[in-house]
Amino acid sequence: MGRPVGQTDRLGVVVRAAERLALPAGLALTLAVLAVVFYYPVGSVLVESVVRAGRLTAGPLLSVLSDPFYTGAASSLFAEPGSVPGGFVTWLRAGLPPVTFGLFGFTAYQAALSTVASVLLGSPGAYLLSRFEFRGRRTLRSLTILPFVLPSIMVAVGFLAMFGRNGPLNTALVTLGLGRLDLLFTLEVIVVAHAFYNAPLVTRLVTAAWETVDARRVESARAMGATPFRAFRDVVLPQLLPSLLTAALLTFVFTFMSFPIVLALGGLRLATVEVWLFARVQNLELAEAATLATLETVVTLSLTYLYLRYEARQVRAGSGGAPVPRRPLLDGLRTVRDPARLGLLAYGLLALVVFVGPMASMVLASVTGPDGSLTLEYYRFLVDQQVAETAGTTRPLPAILNSLLFGAGTLLLALPLGVVVSVVATRGGRGSRVAEALLTAPLAVSGVVVGLGLLQTLVFGTTLFGHRLTATGPVAIVLAHAVAAYPFVTRNVTPALGGLDPRLSDAARSLGATRLRALLDVELPLVAAALVAGAAFAFAISVGEFDSTVLLAEGVDSYTMPVALERYIGNRSLGPNLGPATAMGTVLLAVTAASFVVIDRVGGRWEP
Amino acid sequence: MERREFLKRAGAGVGGLTLLAGCTGTGTDETGGGTPTATRSATPDEGGRTATPTGRPTTSAPSGTLNVATYSSFTGEGTAGNWLKSAFEERYPEVTVEFSTPENGVNQFIQRKRQSAPIEADLYVGLNTGELVRVDERLDEPLFATVRDSVEGADTVKEGLRIDPDGRAIPYDTGYISLVYDENEVENPGTFDALLEPRYEGDLITQNAQQSDPGLAFLLWTIIAKGEDGYLDYWSALADNGVRVLSDWEPAYNAYLNGEAPMVVSYSTDQVYYHGEGVDMSRHQVGFLNDQGYANPEAMAAFADSDRTDLARRFMEFVLTPEAQAEIAVRNVQFPAVEGVDPGEEFSKYAYEPPEPVTFTYDDLAGNVGTWVDQWARQIVSG
Repeated sequence: MGRPVGQTDRLGVVVRAAERLALPAGLALTLAVLAVVFYYPVGSVLVESVVRAGRLTAGPLLSVLSDPFYTGAASSLFAEPGSVPGGFVTWLRAGLPPVTFGLFGFTAYQAALSTVASVLLGSPGAYLLSRFEFRGRRTLRSLTILPFVLPSIMVAVGFLAMFGRNGPLNTALVTLGLGRLDLLFTLEVIVVAHAFYNAPLVTRLVTAAWETVDARRVESARAMGATPFRAFRDVVLPQLLPSLLTAALLTFVFTFMSFPIVLALGGLRLATVEVWLFARVQNLELAEAATLATLETVVTLSLTYLYLRYEARQVRAGSGGAPVPRRPLLDGLRTVRDPARLGLLAYGLLALVVFVGPMASMVLASVTGPDGSLTLEYYRFLVDQQVAETAGTTRPLPAILNSLLFGAGTLLLALPLGVVVSVVATRGGRGSRVAEALLTAPLAVSGVVVGLGLLQTLVFGTTLFGHRLTATGPVAIVLAHAVAAYPFVTRNVTPALGGLDPRLSDAARSLGATRLRALLDVELPLVAAALVAGAAFAFAISVGEFDSTVLLAEGVDSYTMPVALERYIGNRSLGPNLGPATAMGTVLLAVTAASFVVIDRVGGRWEP
Repeated sequence: MERREFLKRAGAGVGGLTLLAGCTGTGTDETGGGTPTATRSATPDEGGRTATPTGRPTTSAPSGTLNVATYSSFTGEGTAGNWLKSAFEERYPEVTVEFSTPENGVNQFIQRKRQSAPIEADLYVGLNTGELVRVDERLDEPLFATVRDSVEGADTVKEGLRIDPDGRAIPYDTGYISLVYDENEVENPGTFDALLEPRYEGDLITQNAQQSDPGLAFLLWTIIAKGEDGYLDYWSALADNGVRVLSDWEPAYNAYLNGEAPMVVSYSTDQVYYHGEGVDMSRHQVGFLNDQGYANPEAMAAFADSDRTDLARRFMEFVLTPEAQAEIAVRNVQFPAVEGVDPGEEFSKYAYEPPEPVTFTYDDLAGNVGTWVDQWARQIVSG
């Protein structure tokens, strides 16, 4: 609140008017961007599921819902509703035999398992990062979301190497006399791979929430005689729950629509709905694809809506004071006698196997030749590509620069978009949950469908006044990335803003600050941890994005690191070998790791 | 580095750019019943084969830019695509060849056509039979032009590889699907029935026919072997014997190399990549089943909407010349499509041709392939 209030000169009036307009204008801009690069493209695909020959129809949706392959036992609900009671009685008489719910049922089942696994693997990480002080804590926090940017083929390479029949895990188990663990091609490995991707989400979201818990409230609970456990249960946990549940929701939504990793590690036997959707798109059976996508979206958006209603009903805890101080992780002899620290040690070992193991395996694969010897051949390949004169060569350096450029652009755009939506969301009002759910839709719609939609609309373009209008190139890429990324900002910032004591901004406003001033000067600095986490996610989403990048890239030169990696997979100059791709994957890891550290360090300046 | 040197050595054998002489059969003059492209009399001459279609004014030396849409591994340093580009541009100095590599392949153009969006490419390179069927099932308007009778050398393509009854898609190379196995772990099963034996339990990795070319080819091969009425039962038994169906070639082959299973569905040119000093070839054994291998020809086709059809035709003719065929075979690691081309000793030594190549024709696949794949995939998931 550096600006003197009550200023009456003309400049002041203009500034205040602009500040008042900033939020509504920001919202309008957000909606406009969303309409162009999300709702219109996705709508152009999904409309095919309910419109046949210009007329509204429920036919395609019903035919999927009543197909036992898709919905199992639930299919009779849609095929012959009259037979349901009789069927239920038969089932009861038969002694409740196990019931299956088809492809949708299995997809939801594996997503639920993956969510539980991600929460279990992610929350201790948040405890460690927010409650303990140790060397490299900030760097470790920055690096938690590294798995997010890894292309699935690289995760498959890492998992195969780490958990394979001859991988280090099995070698260790056999050496210890524990026997071999046949993890590949099972549901378990898919769940672990999903946890690899999503537990970091849990860690990062919950850490951001934990870091904004008001120390005074914990202290007063303790002063009134609460045990540490009760203080945690009654004061801390209620403040963590929204972020924990947000992370769980996002994990469920992502794993419900999981696609490449499922088939690469588990096999077709364990296919999800998204696998079927992709096959329909490949075969250009677009109406069927749209039908599956619509049903997926109904599931994910309903869950999002239900969650948002829950979140809005939470009593505002009123945080905003100084955070609880961290304890040193290593504390002499007490370290080994403290159950919490011992637990964290065990957790560290597990994290080493699940998170570090696959990434280290990929890095190792990038320096291992086909005969198992150490080689730098794959990095020489990258250098050769860089200096090659041939047209159409994919060079690593432009890929790195494009990735950084798009990532930075996405971050700068997604932060304001996300904050604007958060402000609208925390304000409440009739229908605002529905609006918020719809604004979160970029997270809840199949990536295959978003890509298809972008292709049909922005890439193919439309004819206006005799001119063909298309929207591709770097700006379109950044817009598409920002739309995919801003919900992460929102999901980080909304719970944090909602947790703030409303009296803080009320006080600022009663002193004459505009809504924008109160936001910028009072509220946002208090939720800086959540903002930084959101920024890191936005950057990660952009760097890891593949589908819309390749579609919207103009010509062959707007490629990013994942696109280069994909092209190196197909490059046969060193034989059909994943070596060059793993080398590029290692570069991708290094570049994004450095970027995350920079984002956290820069953003950290505003953290309390 | 072995492969680079191998390329140089193989390339050295093909001296210069000899003209297509002696291969120009007059068979190209057969009248295509009612096809829009007029039949042309092939009159190769010293100046670079400026053959002219009858009824058209004599064209001068061709010029302009030819936009070739293809898959990404066809272009770039050392690839068949880049060799073709430089050799073609050398032959026609006024011509520039540009490649574009749409991520979703030919689907991009089917969708463009469906929505009346412009198609800037003149030629598509890398079309297989199933995709051609899809083109026709999804479009009423022609996407590709009929060129068979106007492209010189189209009649030299091996009989068994001519996939398009309408003469639009001209094959330029082919792969054969086979097993690759580790002879330290298993014997060559030799037949489809042997794969069901307990000794091969959990030993085979293949790919999802919904999204993978070799996966689809292997599925189609089982339909040839077991019939349309028998293949689902066969796959049911195969699934009981622990077959793994992974997403695509890379994860499947990578899992094989990691020792997760001793057999993988791949290509019979496997050893061309892997031979060399110190490489253990016992892990790169090629096994055919029932003495067959499923041919997966790759074809090229000219877009009907292109206004550079003449240039596209010349490019296709060039691709079918023996020297280009040999280069494509070596650089793309596929067999030549044209009869009697020798890709060189090194290639022939390590690339195996099945005793009996089999493949489904366009007419076999049309109206069937979608159902076959869908039923198969549903069974794998439900089974």
